[in-house]
Amino acid sequence: MNNLLSQLHFATAAEYLVPSLIHGIGVVLEATFFGFILATIIGIFIAIGRLFGWKIVKAFLYVFLEVIRGTPLLVQLVYIYYVVPLIINLFAAMLGYKTDVQIDPLVAGIAGLAINYGCYMSEVIRAGIVAVDKGQMEAALVLGFGRYEALFRIIMPQALRSIIPSLGNYLVMMIKDTSLLAYVAVNELLLRTQTFASQTFYTIEAYTYLALFYLILSVPLSHCIKFIEYKLSSSNR
Amino acid sequence: MFNIFDLKKSYGKTEVLKSITMRIDDGEVICIIGPSGSGKSTFLRCLNLLEEPTGGQIYYNGTILDNTLDSKRLRREVGMVFQKFNLFPMFTVLKNVMYAPMHVKHTGKKEAEKIARNLLEKVGLGNKAAAYPAQLSGGQQQRVAIARALAMQPKMLLFDEPTSALDPELVNEVLNVMKNLRKEGMSMVVVTHEMGFARDVSDRVVFMDKGFIVEEGRPAEIFNHPKQERTQQFLNRVLGGVSYE
Ligand SMILES: Nc1ncnc2c1ncn2[C@@H]1O[C@H](COP(=O)(O)OP(=O)(O)OP(=O)(O)O)[C@@H](O)[C@H]1O
Ligand SMILES: [Mg+2]
Repeated sequence: MNNLLSQLHFATAAEYLVPSLIHGIGVVLEATFFGFILATIIGIFIAIGRLFGWKIVKAFLYVFLEVIRGTPLLVQLVYIYYVVPLIINLFAAMLGYKTDVQIDPLVAGIAGLAINYGCYMSEVIRAGIVAVDKGQMEAALVLGFGRYEALFRIIMPQALRSIIPSLGNYLVMMIKDTSLLAYVAVNELLLRTQTFASQTFYTIEAYTYLALFYLILSVPLSHCIKFIEYKLSSSNR
Repeated sequence: MFNIFDLKKSYGKTEVLKSITMRIDDGEVICIIGPSGSGKSTFLRCLNLLEEPTGGQIYYNGTILDNTLDSKRLRREVGMVFQKFNLFPMFTVLKNVMYAPMHVKHTGKKEAEKIARNLLEKVGLGNKAAAYPAQLSGGQQQRVAIARALAMQPKMLLFDEPTSALDPELVNEVLNVMKNLRKEGMSMVVVTHEMGFARDVSDRVVFMDKGFIVEEGRPAEIFNHPKQERTQQFLNRVLGGVSYE
Protein backbone atom coordinates (compact mmCIF):
# COMPACT_ATOMS: atom_id res chain seq x y z
CA MET A 1 0.00 0.00 0.00
CA ASN A 2 2.69 2.44 1.11
CA ASN A 3 4.66 1.35 -1.83
CA LEU A 4 1.87 2.16 -4.19
CA LEU A 5 1.28 5.59 -2.72
CA SER A 6 4.95 6.38 -2.92
CA GLN A 7 4.64 6.02 -6.68
CA LEU A 8 2.53 9.18 -6.72
CA HIS A 9 4.40 12.42 -7.18
CA PHE A 10 2.10 15.15 -5.94
CA ALA A 11 4.96 17.42 -4.95
CA THR A 12 6.75 17.18 -8.28
CA ALA A 13 3.51 17.54 -10.19
CA ALA A 14 2.62 20.59 -8.16
CA GLU A 15 5.92 22.23 -8.89
CA TYR A 16 5.24 22.28 -12.63
CA LEU A 17 1.48 22.13 -12.91
CA VAL A 18 0.31 24.55 -10.22
CA PRO A 19 2.00 27.68 -11.66
CA SER A 20 0.51 26.81 -15.02
CA LEU A 21 -2.94 26.36 -13.50
CA ILE A 22 -2.63 29.67 -11.72
CA HIS A 23 -2.03 31.27 -15.11
CA GLY A 24 -5.02 29.37 -16.40
CA ILE A 25 -7.23 30.89 -13.72
CA GLY A 26 -6.73 34.23 -15.44
CA VAL A 27 -8.17 32.77 -18.62
CA VAL A 28 -11.06 31.18 -16.74
CA LEU A 29 -11.90 34.45 -15.01
CA GLU A 30 -11.64 36.41 -18.25
CA ALA A 31 -13.93 34.01 -20.10
CA THR A 32 -16.42 33.93 -17.24
CA PHE A 33 -16.38 37.68 -16.68
CA PHE A 34 -17.05 38.64 -20.29
CA GLY A 35 -19.18 35.59 -20.97
CA PHE A 36 -21.43 36.34 -18.04
CA ILE A 37 -21.83 40.05 -18.71
CA LEU A 38 -22.65 39.37 -22.34
CA ALA A 39 -24.97 36.52 -21.38
CA THR A 40 -26.85 38.84 -19.03
CA ILE A 41 -27.24 41.46 -21.73
CA ILE A 42 -28.33 38.86 -24.28
CA GLY A 43 -30.69 37.37 -21.71
CA ILE A 44 -32.29 40.72 -20.95
CA PHE A 45 -32.83 41.47 -24.62
CA ILE A 46 -34.22 38.03 -25.39
CA ALA A 47 -36.55 38.30 -22.40
CA ILE A 48 -37.78 41.74 -23.44
CA GLY A 49 -38.12 40.68 -27.07
CA ARG A 50 -40.17 37.67 -26.09
CA LEU A 51 -42.39 39.73 -23.81
CA PHE A 52 -42.84 42.96 -25.71
CA GLY A 53 -41.45 42.41 -29.21
CA TRP A 54 -43.30 42.25 -32.50
CA LYS A 55 -44.76 38.88 -33.44
CA ILE A 56 -41.94 38.20 -35.90
CA VAL A 57 -39.33 38.93 -33.22
CA LYS A 58 -41.11 36.61 -30.80
CA ALA A 59 -41.25 33.84 -33.40
CA PHE A 60 -37.59 34.23 -34.28
CA LEU A 61 -36.52 34.19 -30.64
CA TYR A 62 -38.65 31.15 -29.96
CA VAL A 63 -36.91 29.19 -32.71
CA PHE A 64 -33.52 30.50 -31.66
CA LEU A 65 -34.07 29.36 -28.07
CA GLU A 66 -35.19 25.92 -29.24
CA VAL A 67 -32.03 25.53 -31.31
CA ILE A 68 -29.70 26.67 -28.56
CA ARG A 69 -31.37 24.68 -25.81
CA GLY A 70 -31.69 21.63 -28.03
CA THR A 71 -27.96 21.38 -28.75
CA PRO A 72 -25.06 20.86 -26.34
CA LEU A 73 -22.85 23.78 -25.40
CA LEU A 74 -19.82 21.81 -26.54
CA VAL A 75 -21.29 21.42 -30.01
CA GLN A 76 -22.07 25.14 -30.13
CA LEU A 77 -18.51 26.02 -29.16
CA VAL A 78 -17.07 23.75 -31.81
CA TYR A 79 -19.51 25.16 -34.33
CA ILE A 80 -18.55 28.75 -33.60
CA TYR A 81 -14.84 28.05 -33.59
CA TYR A 82 -14.49 25.66 -36.54
CA VAL A 83 -17.63 25.95 -38.65
CA VAL A 84 -18.53 29.65 -38.59
CA PRO A 85 -15.17 30.74 -40.09
CA LEU A 86 -15.56 28.08 -42.82
CA ILE A 87 -19.02 29.39 -43.66
CA ILE A 88 -17.72 32.96 -43.80
CA ASN A 89 -14.88 31.91 -46.08
CA LEU A 90 -17.29 29.96 -48.25
CA PHE A 91 -19.58 32.95 -48.71
CA ALA A 92 -16.62 35.20 -49.37
CA ALA A 93 -15.43 32.75 -52.01
CA MET A 94 -18.85 32.81 -53.63
CA LEU A 95 -18.54 36.57 -53.86
CA GLY A 96 -15.13 36.16 -55.40
CA TYR A 97 -12.93 36.97 -52.43
CA LYS A 98 -10.32 34.71 -51.02
CA THR A 99 -10.36 34.96 -47.26
CA ASP A 100 -8.98 33.00 -44.38
CA VAL A 101 -11.09 34.14 -41.48
CA GLN A 102 -10.23 32.61 -38.15
CA ILE A 103 -11.76 33.28 -34.78
CA ASP A 104 -9.60 33.74 -31.75
CA PRO A 105 -10.22 30.73 -29.48
CA LEU A 106 -11.04 32.83 -26.44
CA VAL A 107 -13.40 35.05 -28.42
CA ALA A 108 -15.18 31.98 -29.80
CA GLY A 109 -15.37 30.53 -26.30
CA ILE A 110 -16.78 33.70 -24.78
CA ALA A 111 -19.31 34.02 -27.62
CA GLY A 112 -20.44 30.42 -27.13
CA LEU A 113 -20.81 30.80 -23.38
CA ALA A 114 -22.62 34.12 -23.76
CA ILE A 115 -25.13 32.87 -26.31
CA ASN A 116 -25.81 29.59 -24.58
CA TYR A 117 -26.14 31.05 -21.10
CA GLY A 118 -27.99 34.09 -22.43
CA CYS A 119 -30.74 31.80 -23.68
CA TYR A 120 -31.13 29.97 -20.40
CA MET A 121 -30.86 33.15 -18.36
CA SER A 122 -33.48 34.87 -20.52
CA GLU A 123 -36.09 32.50 -19.12
CA VAL A 124 -35.17 33.46 -15.56
CA ILE A 125 -35.16 37.14 -16.45
CA ARG A 126 -38.47 36.81 -18.22
CA ALA A 127 -40.02 35.14 -15.20
CA GLY A 128 -38.60 37.89 -12.99
CA ILE A 129 -40.12 40.61 -15.15
CA VAL A 130 -43.48 38.86 -15.30
CA ALA A 131 -43.47 38.47 -11.53
CA VAL A 132 -43.35 42.23 -10.97
CA ASP A 133 -46.84 43.50 -10.20
CA LYS A 134 -48.60 44.68 -13.36
CA GLY A 135 -49.62 47.80 -11.46
CA GLN A 136 -46.01 48.98 -11.48
CA MET A 137 -45.95 49.27 -15.26
CA GLU A 138 -49.34 50.98 -15.26
CA ALA A 139 -48.28 53.44 -12.57
CA ALA A 140 -45.24 54.39 -14.63
CA LEU A 141 -47.28 54.69 -17.83
CA VAL A 142 -49.88 56.98 -16.29
CA LEU A 143 -47.10 59.25 -15.04
CA GLY A 144 -46.04 59.75 -18.63
CA PHE A 145 -43.20 57.25 -18.98
CA GLY A 146 -42.92 55.28 -22.21
CA ARG A 147 -43.13 51.50 -22.17
CA TYR A 148 -39.40 50.87 -22.43
CA GLU A 149 -38.50 53.69 -20.08
CA ALA A 150 -40.86 52.17 -17.53
CA LEU A 151 -39.32 48.77 -18.15
CA PHE A 152 -35.75 49.89 -17.52
CA ARG A 153 -36.42 52.45 -14.79
CA ILE A 154 -39.17 50.79 -12.78
CA ILE A 155 -39.66 47.15 -13.70
CA MET A 156 -36.12 45.83 -14.23
CA PRO A 157 -34.73 47.08 -10.89
CA GLN A 158 -37.52 45.22 -9.11
CA ALA A 159 -37.21 42.15 -11.31
CA LEU A 160 -33.44 42.00 -10.69
CA ARG A 161 -34.03 41.48 -6.98
CA SER A 162 -35.63 38.14 -7.66
CA ILE A 163 -33.41 37.36 -10.63
CA ILE A 164 -29.96 37.96 -9.10
CA PRO A 165 -29.84 34.87 -6.87
CA SER A 166 -30.67 32.52 -9.74
CA LEU A 167 -28.28 34.32 -12.05
CA GLY A 168 -25.63 33.74 -9.42
CA ASN A 169 -26.09 30.01 -9.83
CA TYR A 170 -25.53 30.41 -13.57
CA LEU A 171 -22.29 32.25 -12.80
CA VAL A 172 -20.99 29.28 -10.81
CA MET A 173 -22.09 26.91 -13.56
CA MET A 174 -20.36 29.04 -16.16
CA ILE A 175 -17.05 28.98 -14.29
CA LYS A 176 -17.15 25.20 -14.40
CA ASP A 177 -18.30 25.10 -18.02
CA THR A 178 -15.26 27.11 -19.10
CA SER A 179 -13.55 23.70 -19.01
CA LEU A 180 -15.32 23.00 -22.31
CA LEU A 181 -13.27 25.77 -23.91
CA ALA A 182 -10.38 23.31 -23.88
CA TYR A 183 -11.98 21.77 -26.97
CA VAL A 184 -11.67 25.01 -28.91
CA ALA A 185 -8.01 25.42 -28.04
CA VAL A 186 -8.40 27.90 -25.20
CA ASN A 187 -5.49 27.30 -22.88
CA GLU A 188 -7.55 27.14 -19.73
CA LEU A 189 -7.26 24.71 -16.84
CA LEU A 190 -8.35 21.49 -18.48
CA LEU A 191 -6.17 21.91 -21.56
CA ARG A 192 -3.16 22.77 -19.41
CA THR A 193 -3.77 19.70 -17.30
CA GLN A 194 -4.25 17.44 -20.30
CA THR A 195 -1.02 18.67 -21.83
CA PHE A 196 0.87 18.21 -18.60
CA ALA A 197 -0.57 14.74 -17.95
CA SER A 198 0.17 13.49 -21.43
CA GLN A 199 3.77 14.64 -21.18
CA THR A 200 4.53 13.42 -17.66
CA PHE A 201 2.01 10.59 -17.13
CA TYR A 202 1.28 12.08 -13.68
CA THR A 203 -2.37 11.54 -14.58
CA ILE A 204 -3.78 11.00 -11.08
CA GLU A 205 -1.91 13.95 -9.65
CA ALA A 206 -2.70 16.31 -12.49
CA TYR A 207 -6.43 15.77 -12.60
CA THR A 208 -6.66 15.83 -8.83
CA TYR A 209 -5.08 19.27 -8.84
CA LEU A 210 -7.43 20.30 -11.62
CA ALA A 211 -10.47 19.28 -9.60
CA LEU A 212 -9.09 21.12 -6.58
CA PHE A 213 -8.67 24.28 -8.61
CA TYR A 214 -12.27 24.20 -9.73
CA LEU A 215 -13.36 23.66 -6.15
CA ILE A 216 -11.28 26.62 -5.02
CA LEU A 217 -12.97 28.75 -7.66
CA SER A 218 -16.55 27.67 -7.29
CA VAL A 219 -17.10 26.94 -3.60
CA PRO A 220 -16.26 30.42 -2.27
CA LEU A 221 -18.18 31.97 -5.14
CA SER A 222 -21.32 30.00 -4.48
CA HIS A 223 -21.11 30.95 -0.81
CA CYS A 224 -20.74 34.62 -1.78
CA ILE A 225 -23.87 34.27 -3.86
CA LYS A 226 -25.78 32.66 -1.01
CA PHE A 227 -24.74 35.58 1.14
CA ILE A 228 -25.91 38.14 -1.43
CA GLU A 229 -29.16 36.24 -1.79
CA TYR A 230 -29.62 36.35 1.97
CA LYS A 231 -28.83 40.08 2.08
CA LEU A 232 -31.28 40.80 -0.72
CA SER A 233 -34.09 38.84 0.85
CA SER A 234 -33.61 40.33 4.31
CA SER A 235 -33.53 43.91 2.97
CA ASN A 236 -36.55 43.26 0.80
CA ARG A 237 -39.02 46.07 0.98
CA MET B 1 -62.37 68.26 -21.53
CA PHE B 2 -63.60 64.89 -22.74
CA ASN B 3 -66.29 64.22 -25.30
CA ILE B 4 -67.08 60.57 -25.63
CA PHE B 5 -69.26 59.13 -28.40
CA ASP B 6 -70.49 55.57 -28.57
CA LEU B 7 -67.36 54.23 -26.89
CA LYS B 8 -67.00 50.45 -27.13
CA LYS B 9 -64.49 48.04 -25.68
CA SER B 10 -64.41 44.29 -25.96
CA TYR B 11 -61.90 41.65 -25.03
CA GLY B 12 -62.22 39.03 -27.72
CA LYS B 13 -65.91 38.19 -27.70
CA THR B 14 -66.74 39.75 -24.33
CA GLU B 15 -68.21 43.19 -24.80
CA VAL B 16 -67.33 45.14 -21.70
CA LEU B 17 -68.33 48.63 -22.82
CA LYS B 18 -71.26 48.47 -25.21
CA SER B 19 -71.92 52.13 -25.91
CA ILE B 20 -70.85 54.99 -23.71
CA THR B 21 -71.65 58.56 -24.68
CA MET B 22 -70.94 61.40 -22.28
CA ARG B 23 -69.02 64.60 -21.82
CA ILE B 24 -66.78 65.65 -18.99
CA ASP B 25 -66.30 69.36 -18.46
CA ASP B 26 -63.42 71.33 -17.03
CA GLY B 27 -63.49 71.47 -13.25
CA GLU B 28 -66.17 68.83 -12.94
CA VAL B 29 -66.13 66.10 -10.32
CA ILE B 30 -67.87 62.99 -11.58
CA CYS B 31 -68.48 59.86 -9.60
CA ILE B 32 -69.06 56.62 -11.44
CA ILE B 33 -70.99 53.99 -9.53
CA GLY B 34 -72.33 50.61 -10.50
CA PRO B 35 -72.13 46.90 -9.79
CA SER B 36 -68.95 44.89 -10.06
CA GLY B 37 -68.09 43.97 -13.63
CA SER B 38 -70.19 46.73 -15.15
CA GLY B 39 -67.15 48.21 -16.92
CA LYS B 40 -66.35 51.19 -14.69
CA SER B 41 -62.61 50.55 -14.53
CA THR B 42 -62.48 49.75 -18.22
CA PHE B 43 -64.17 53.04 -19.03
CA LEU B 44 -61.78 55.00 -16.84
CA ARG B 45 -58.80 53.24 -18.39
CA CYS B 46 -60.00 54.11 -21.88
CA LEU B 47 -59.80 57.79 -20.97
CA ASN B 48 -56.02 57.68 -20.57
CA LEU B 49 -55.55 54.95 -23.16
CA LEU B 50 -54.40 52.31 -20.71
CA GLU B 51 -57.00 50.34 -22.65
CA GLU B 52 -57.43 50.79 -26.36
CA PRO B 53 -61.10 51.32 -27.26
CA THR B 54 -62.48 48.98 -29.90
CA GLY B 55 -65.12 51.40 -31.16
CA GLY B 56 -66.48 54.92 -30.97
CA GLN B 57 -64.56 58.14 -30.43
CA ILE B 58 -63.06 60.00 -27.52
CA TYR B 59 -62.16 63.66 -27.97
CA TYR B 60 -59.84 65.31 -25.48
CA ASN B 61 -60.03 69.09 -25.76
CA GLY B 62 -61.09 68.72 -29.37
CA THR B 63 -58.38 66.22 -30.33
CA ILE B 64 -59.49 62.73 -31.17
CA LEU B 65 -57.72 60.00 -29.26
CA ASP B 66 -56.50 57.47 -31.78
CA ASN B 67 -53.28 55.61 -32.34
CA THR B 68 -51.60 58.60 -33.97
CA LEU B 69 -51.92 60.42 -30.66
CA ASP B 70 -48.99 60.60 -28.29
CA SER B 71 -50.50 58.87 -25.28
CA LYS B 72 -47.57 60.03 -23.14
CA ARG B 73 -48.67 63.64 -23.55
CA LEU B 74 -52.26 62.81 -22.75
CA ARG B 75 -51.20 61.00 -19.60
CA ARG B 76 -49.20 63.99 -18.40
CA GLU B 77 -52.42 65.96 -18.37
CA VAL B 78 -54.75 63.22 -17.17
CA GLY B 79 -53.29 61.53 -14.10
CA MET B 80 -54.50 58.37 -12.43
CA VAL B 81 -54.72 56.94 -8.93
CA PHE B 82 -55.22 53.20 -8.50
CA GLN B 83 -57.05 51.05 -6.02
CA LYS B 84 -53.80 49.34 -5.02
CA PHE B 85 -51.71 52.56 -4.90
CA ASN B 86 -48.90 51.04 -6.99
CA LEU B 87 -46.19 53.10 -5.35
CA PHE B 88 -42.65 52.24 -6.42
CA PRO B 89 -41.45 50.06 -3.54
CA MET B 90 -37.72 50.62 -4.05
CA PHE B 91 -37.99 54.41 -3.78
CA THR B 92 -38.62 56.57 -0.73
CA VAL B 93 -41.87 58.48 -0.52
CA LEU B 94 -40.10 61.65 -1.62
CA LYS B 95 -38.50 59.95 -4.62
CA ASN B 96 -41.82 58.42 -5.60
CA VAL B 97 -43.26 61.91 -5.88
CA MET B 98 -40.20 63.52 -7.50
CA TYR B 99 -39.44 60.79 -9.97
CA ALA B 100 -41.82 61.51 -12.82
CA PRO B 101 -41.35 65.30 -12.84
CA MET B 102 -37.58 64.75 -12.97
CA HIS B 103 -37.51 62.07 -15.64
CA VAL B 104 -40.59 62.82 -17.70
CA LYS B 105 -40.75 66.60 -17.52
CA HIS B 106 -37.03 67.05 -16.88
CA THR B 107 -37.70 69.35 -13.96
CA GLY B 108 -34.50 70.13 -12.09
CA LYS B 109 -33.83 68.12 -8.94
CA LYS B 110 -34.16 71.06 -6.53
CA GLU B 111 -37.37 72.26 -8.13
CA ALA B 112 -38.83 68.73 -8.22
CA GLU B 113 -37.97 68.23 -4.57
CA LYS B 114 -39.62 71.50 -3.63
CA ILE B 115 -42.80 70.56 -5.47
CA ALA B 116 -42.75 67.10 -3.93
CA ARG B 117 -42.29 68.35 -0.37
CA ASN B 118 -45.09 70.86 -0.80
CA LEU B 119 -47.42 68.16 -2.07
CA LEU B 120 -46.51 65.78 0.73
CA GLU B 121 -47.24 68.57 3.17
CA LYS B 122 -50.57 69.10 1.46
CA VAL B 123 -51.61 65.46 1.82
CA GLY B 124 -50.45 65.53 5.44
CA LEU B 125 -47.32 63.43 5.01
CA GLY B 126 -44.57 66.01 5.20
CA ASN B 127 -42.88 63.94 7.91
CA LYS B 128 -42.85 60.72 5.87
CA ALA B 129 -40.65 61.92 3.00
CA ALA B 130 -37.82 59.55 3.91
CA ALA B 131 -39.98 56.50 4.57
CA TYR B 132 -40.44 53.64 2.15
CA PRO B 133 -43.93 52.76 0.95
CA ALA B 134 -43.97 49.46 2.82
CA GLN B 135 -43.54 51.37 6.09
CA LEU B 136 -46.77 53.30 5.55
CA SER B 137 -50.40 52.41 6.19
CA GLY B 138 -52.69 51.95 3.22
CA GLY B 139 -54.26 55.36 3.72
CA GLN B 140 -50.85 57.00 3.82
CA GLN B 141 -49.73 55.12 0.73
CA GLN B 142 -52.78 56.26 -1.16
CA ARG B 143 -52.14 59.86 -0.15
CA VAL B 144 -48.58 59.53 -1.44
CA ALA B 145 -50.00 58.13 -4.68
CA ILE B 146 -52.22 61.19 -4.98
CA ALA B 147 -49.25 63.48 -4.34
CA ARG B 148 -47.28 61.55 -6.96
CA ALA B 149 -50.03 62.08 -9.52
CA LEU B 150 -50.33 65.77 -8.61
CA ALA B 151 -46.60 66.29 -9.02
CA MET B 152 -47.07 66.10 -12.79
CA GLN B 153 -49.48 69.03 -12.46
CA PRO B 154 -52.27 67.27 -14.34
CA LYS B 155 -55.42 68.98 -15.50
CA MET B 156 -57.55 66.06 -14.44
CA LEU B 157 -57.26 63.05 -12.15
CA LEU B 158 -58.87 59.66 -12.62
CA PHE B 159 -59.44 57.60 -9.49
CA ASP B 160 -60.26 53.90 -9.69
CA GLU B 161 -61.78 52.91 -6.36
CA PRO B 162 -59.15 54.80 -4.39
CA THR B 163 -60.44 53.67 -1.01
CA SER B 164 -61.55 50.11 -1.73
CA ALA B 165 -58.31 48.55 -0.56
CA LEU B 166 -58.31 50.46 2.71
CA ASP B 167 -59.37 49.54 6.21
CA PRO B 168 -62.59 51.43 6.98
CA GLU B 169 -60.94 53.74 9.51
CA LEU B 170 -58.44 54.92 6.86
CA VAL B 171 -60.97 55.77 4.19
CA ASN B 172 -61.69 59.28 5.38
CA GLU B 173 -58.14 60.56 5.37
CA VAL B 174 -58.01 59.79 1.64
CA LEU B 175 -61.47 61.17 0.91
CA ASN B 176 -60.57 64.38 2.73
CA VAL B 177 -57.56 64.88 0.49
CA MET B 178 -59.85 64.43 -2.50
CA LYS B 179 -62.37 66.89 -1.10
CA ASN B 180 -59.62 69.46 -0.77
CA LEU B 181 -58.65 68.86 -4.38
CA ARG B 182 -62.21 69.53 -5.35
CA LYS B 183 -62.13 72.84 -3.52
CA GLU B 184 -59.06 73.79 -5.54
CA GLY B 185 -61.00 73.13 -8.72
CA MET B 186 -59.32 69.92 -9.85
CA SER B 187 -61.30 67.96 -12.45
CA MET B 188 -61.84 64.44 -11.22
CA VAL B 189 -63.50 61.26 -12.39
CA VAL B 190 -63.89 58.89 -9.47
CA VAL B 191 -65.03 55.29 -9.65
CA THR B 192 -66.18 54.59 -6.14
CA HIS B 193 -68.30 52.51 -3.83
CA GLU B 194 -68.33 55.36 -1.29
CA MET B 195 -71.88 56.56 -1.78
CA GLY B 196 -71.48 59.25 0.85
CA PHE B 197 -68.61 60.77 -1.10
CA ALA B 198 -70.50 60.52 -4.39
CA ARG B 199 -73.49 62.23 -2.87
CA ASP B 200 -71.64 65.02 -1.07
CA VAL B 201 -68.70 65.81 -3.26
CA SER B 202 -69.58 65.16 -6.89
CA ASP B 203 -71.21 67.44 -9.43
CA ARG B 204 -72.56 64.53 -11.32
CA VAL B 205 -73.13 60.85 -10.62
CA VAL B 206 -73.00 58.30 -13.41
CA PHE B 207 -74.58 54.90 -12.85
CA MET B 208 -73.15 52.19 -15.09
CA ASP B 209 -74.42 48.67 -15.59
CA LYS B 210 -73.48 45.96 -18.09
CA GLY B 211 -71.41 48.26 -20.27
CA PHE B 212 -73.95 51.06 -20.55
CA ILE B 213 -74.57 54.30 -18.72
CA VAL B 214 -77.98 53.62 -17.29
CA GLU B 215 -78.52 56.99 -15.72
CA GLU B 216 -76.62 60.15 -14.90
CA GLY B 217 -77.48 63.30 -13.09
CA ARG B 218 -76.87 65.50 -10.11
CA PRO B 219 -76.24 63.49 -6.94
CA ALA B 220 -79.51 64.59 -5.35
CA GLU B 221 -81.48 63.35 -8.35
CA ILE B 222 -79.70 60.02 -8.59
CA PHE B 223 -79.78 59.26 -4.89
CA ASN B 224 -83.23 60.62 -4.05
CA HIS B 225 -85.20 60.20 -7.25
CA PRO B 226 -83.57 57.65 -9.50
CA LYS B 227 -85.56 57.33 -12.71
CA GLN B 228 -84.40 53.89 -13.71
CA GLU B 229 -85.38 50.79 -11.87
CA ARG B 230 -81.89 49.32 -12.14
CA THR B 231 -80.42 52.38 -10.43
CA GLN B 232 -82.95 52.07 -7.68
CA GLN B 233 -82.21 48.39 -7.18
CA PHE B 234 -78.49 49.03 -7.08
CA LEU B 235 -78.81 51.85 -4.57
CA ASN B 236 -81.11 49.82 -2.38
CA ARG B 237 -78.58 47.03 -2.41
CA VAL B 238 -75.50 49.10 -1.59
CA LEU B 239 -77.10 51.54 0.78
CA GLY B 240 -79.25 48.76 2.25
CA GLY B 241 -80.59 50.68 5.20
CA VAL B 242 -77.18 52.10 6.11
CA SER B 243 -77.43 55.84 6.13
CA TYR B 244 -74.60 57.87 4.66
CA GLU B 245 -75.93 61.23 5.83
N1 LIG C 1 -58.06 42.29 -19.70
C1 LIG C 1 -59.29 41.74 -19.69
N2 LIG C 1 -59.54 40.62 -20.41
C2 LIG C 1 -60.76 40.06 -20.41
N3 LIG C 1 -61.81 40.53 -19.71
C3 LIG C 1 -61.63 41.63 -18.97
C4 LIG C 1 -60.36 42.29 -18.92
N4 LIG C 1 -60.48 43.36 -18.10
C5 LIG C 1 -61.75 43.36 -17.67
N5 LIG C 1 -62.45 42.33 -18.18
C6 LIG C 1 -63.86 42.02 -17.94
O1 LIG C 1 -64.59 43.18 -18.19
C7 LIG C 1 -65.68 43.28 -17.28
C8 LIG C 1 -65.71 44.66 -16.69
O2 LIG C 1 -64.53 44.86 -15.95
P1 LIG C 1 -64.24 46.19 -15.12
O3 LIG C 1 -63.01 45.95 -14.35
O4 LIG C 1 -64.27 47.35 -16.04
O5 LIG C 1 -65.50 46.27 -14.17
P2 LIG C 1 -65.73 47.22 -12.93
O6 LIG C 1 -67.03 47.86 -13.16
O7 LIG C 1 -64.56 48.09 -12.71
O8 LIG C 1 -65.88 46.19 -11.75
P3 LIG C 1 -65.33 46.27 -10.24
O9 LIG C 1 -66.31 47.07 -9.46
O10 LIG C 1 -65.31 44.83 -9.82
O11 LIG C 1 -63.97 46.88 -10.28
C9 LIG C 1 -65.50 42.18 -16.26
O12 LIG C 1 -66.44 41.18 -16.54
C10 LIG C 1 -64.10 41.68 -16.50
O13 LIG C 1 -64.04 40.29 -16.29
MG1 LIG D 1 -63.02 48.20 -11.26
